[in-house]
Amino acid sequence: MTKPSIVVEDLYVRFRPYVERKPTLRRSLGRRRAPEEVVALNHVSFSVDRGEAFGVIGRNGAGKSTLLRCVAGTLRPNGGKAVVHGKTSTLLQLGVGFIPELTGRRNIYLGGLAAGMRKKEIDERLDEIIEYAELEDAIDRPMKTYSSGMFSRLAFSVAMNLEPDVLLLDEILAVGDASFQGKSMKAMRGLLDRAGTILFVSHSLKSVSEFCDRAMWLDGGRIAAIGNAEDVVAQYENSVSERAGE
Amino acid sequence: MTQTSSPIYYTRRLVYYVSELWRRREFIWFLAMGNFKARNASTTLGLFWWVLNPLLLSLVYWFIFGFIFPSERDIIYLMSGMFVFHFTAQSLTGGANAVLQNRALLTNLKFPRLILPLANLLEGLVGFGVSLGLLAVLQSIGNQHFPSAVDLALLLAIVPLHFLFNLGLGSITARLAVPFRDINNFIPYINRVWLYLSPIIWPLTLLESERGQSFAPYAEANPMFALISVYRSALIGDPFDPRMFLEFTIWALVLGVLGVGLFVRYEGKIARHL
Repeated sequence: MTKPSIVVEDLYVRFRPYVERKPTLRRSLGRRRAPEEVVALNHVSFSVDRGEAFGVIGRNGAGKSTLLRCVAGTLRPNGGKAVVHGKTSTLLQLGVGFIPELTGRRNIYLGGLAAGMRKKEIDERLDEIIEYAELEDAIDRPMKTYSSGMFSRLAFSVAMNLEPDVLLLDEILAVGDASFQGKSMKAMRGLLDRAGTILFVSHSLKSVSEFCDRAMWLDGGRIAAIGNAEDVVAQYENSVSERAGE
Repeated sequence: MTQTSSPIYYTRRLVYYVSELWRRREFIWFLAMGNFKARNASTTLGLFWWVLNPLLLSLVYWFIFGFIFPSERDIIYLMSGMFVFHFTAQSLTGGANAVLQNRALLTNLKFPRLILPLANLLEGLVGFGVSLGLLAVLQSIGNQHFPSAVDLALLLAIVPLHFLFNLGLGSITARLAVPFRDINNFIPYINRVWLYLSPIIWPLTLLESERGQSFAPYAEANPMFALISVYRSALIGDPFDPRMFLEFTIWALVLGVLGVGLFVRYEGKIARHL
């Protein structure tokens, strides 16, 4: 609990939706109207300590994924900054860098190298990764033959074996069957015990209040509430049921 | 702003960028070879397609210009030009696709984005190496030209320049393809026109003939003209023209620096457009 592991200061991100629409000839040649902007994150500041699991909740489009992408460093914000201390591993999506036509073994290398590991490190952990994913002989079959459970288990196993200091997670606690879910939960607790940090975005309020120490509720790109996970979840639930009651 | 525009700042950034690329060299290699295998994994002939594609292409033109419109050009002449051109044409398409098809990598992981066009180019280089090997085999069967040490040295000098040239072009299409996906539809036409403008299926003597005279002054402005002429001196024993080598070196340096520069300056914004 010394110096914070993730520091987000005054983060501001806006998108101009017109660039995301296909530019038609008329729109490109026509007079440029001042583009309407969508503010995805509106001056958001918070920090996460070492050994802490921090949850982010909110409705669709509240800016949760944008926040994760800024912290991961793949999206450059328009203002403010997001600083992460330590080796970061992202599980924003499962199986990033995998090529389905190749074998599981080959994809362990691809996924690991994509995430910044050295080949030598992967060589050393290969057996562990395969064993952890419970794949056995299937590891030498092309990944397109895998069931979605097998795919997720391998992806999760690669991500956890990076031994990250900071893990960025997007909604994927539901990996594999019940026994593997228990195992993955244990792996994440282990990471927290090693003074690692988890930033966790989810729609599952139950897992946020159970797993996270603190949480933040984002609404329309602003922080609606931040603090103890159970309190924030309760506040969010109230607002959802109020909206439903209208 | 003075700090961010000083040459020292840019030099530092460049050194950092290149060292990051070097640190990720294993990833570049695995990505290139992974795509290479995946592309051919589901076909019966598999990896043979690397040799077959350029071979079949040459055969088609050999058939057209050997039988339908007979001329004195042989298949080695066609193939040498075709393989050199194919490597470049592929880097144009591949550069655009490298960024568009790796959305998941781009939105999830932080790494120097130049890795994507680089890996694509490396994949092309392996294929190009295979086709040059094929050419060498065919030539030794025909007993036409045995490469000397000088030819090999020339080859070793021109291949890196060719690579740099392609990297520049691939980076430009990668840069353009993100906001303007339409570029993907244009590239095949650009490649087609470029193929006919280059001395691949027509002989150099065309330029001296009456029919070619109006085009001759422009023909040599094409970087592919200089490039193919250097390759042909190394591969099939055409006379070596140092001017051509110099001309292409300038092309490669200018396009390489320009393309990579444009791409790297833009890469922070890529995620916004995906």
